Amino acid sequence: MSANDFKQLVDEQYAPLFRFALALAKSEADASDLTQQTFFIWASKSDQLRDPSKAKAWLFTTLHREFLNRRRHEVRFPQVELDEACVEEMSISPNMSVIDSATVLQALSELEEPYRAVITLFYLEQFSYRDIADVLEIPVGTVMSRLSRGKAQLRQRLVSKEETTARRIVPIAMEDRN
Amino acid sequence: MNNHEAQFVLNAYRPNGQDAADPQFSDALAQARRDPMLQQWFTDSIAFDKAITEKLCSVEVPAGLRESILAGGRVSRPAPWLRPLHKLAIAAAILLCAIVGSLIHEISKPRLAGWQTEALDVISSLVNGKSRFDFQSHDSAQLVAWLADNHAMSPTKIPHRLMGLQSLGCKTFAWNGSDVSVICFVNDGREVHLVMTKASALANRTLRSEPQMVQRGQWATATWRSGEMVYMLVSEGSPDELRSYLL
Repeated sequence: MSANDFKQLVDEQYAPLFRFALALAKSEADASDLTQQTFFIWASKSDQLRDPSKAKAWLFTTLHREFLNRRRHEVRFPQVELDEACVEEMSISPNMSVIDSATVLQALSELEEPYRAVITLFYLEQFSYRDIADVLEIPVGTVMSRLSRGKAQLRQRLVSKEETTARRIVPIAMEDRN
Repeated sequence: MNNHEAQFVLNAYRPNGQDAADPQFSDALAQARRDPMLQQWFTDSIAFDKAITEKLCSVEVPAGLRESILAGGRVSRPAPWLRPLHKLAIAAAILLCAIVGSLIHEISKPRLAGWQTEALDVISSLVNGKSRFDFQSHDSAQLVAWLADNHAMSPTKIPHRLMGLQSLGCKTFAWNGSDVSVICFVNDGREVHLVMTKASALANRTLRSEPQMVQRGQWATATWRSGEMVYMLVSEGSPDELRSYLL
């Protein structure tokens, strides 16, 4: 791959990759490092990838693998029980007009990792459920299940944050001037 | 498909409509069109998804990240000569060199001339008992004398170490109209054969006085010129073993 092709690929993919990394790693520094590392691996191995149209999927897959590899060396996360999400949570609707991107990111980062990866890839609008299955190397049914339950968890967390924010806003008592 | 199942499927439907043609969603979408409650849920869900997408995509990327990636990418890229196409070219060049090298080696490799090949056949048939000596004696001097008396090729000079060996016999044959003689010796049960002919009868007039070693199958051969005669010493085994007779 030429230097120009590499630059073009970086320009197209580094922002969505960083956001995906940020949702996974929960820290801007770690997300930046993961994003850079992914492109560096690409730079050193891209010649082995015959089909340039698969570059995007390759980058996301590699970033996810890198994240999982790093996590294995850190504190082990408790096993996530994927079946415990409540169906009722699907009907919860946070008021999105009062929620900013930082809050969304925080809520997203609080999801358990298996949901977080699927939900982030979905919302970045980069990937269909089939693409997500390929990137994360999991079955399509698992993607659908995690999307369904992950969205429910996300809604619940956003509603929870919305309520917390509302409680912090103390109405200013209007002085009766009469 | 009930509403719960439809919700499960429609949660994977991207809010920008990219999945509208995907048959995986057709039943769930039809169900939503039929059921106003499900339709309402789906409309809300799409709105929620769009809002999340919008907010997530507005997350700022750290300044300088792009430049760091580009700079790091430059040093991470393999050297040009390590890239697959170059590797292929290098491999092809090595292969070509190997082929050319082996061809050169093959061309420059000492070969046996026709008379020598014929001599090996004669020796083989003697060793295998398929033909008989023309004259037999354990005294090599008698063999040389017999050859001379019969106007056959006889040696003018025999390697010193052969002189001390017991001889078995001699045989003559003609190759391309030229006379060739073979004297067979034995050393500790192993046979050594001295073949001789006139140098002027050979196409290769550039034979040197230093023995030229050639291995042909089980036969080790050493060929050299001495005056007007060309000699070939033959034995089964390695050239090193044969060389010991030439010291």
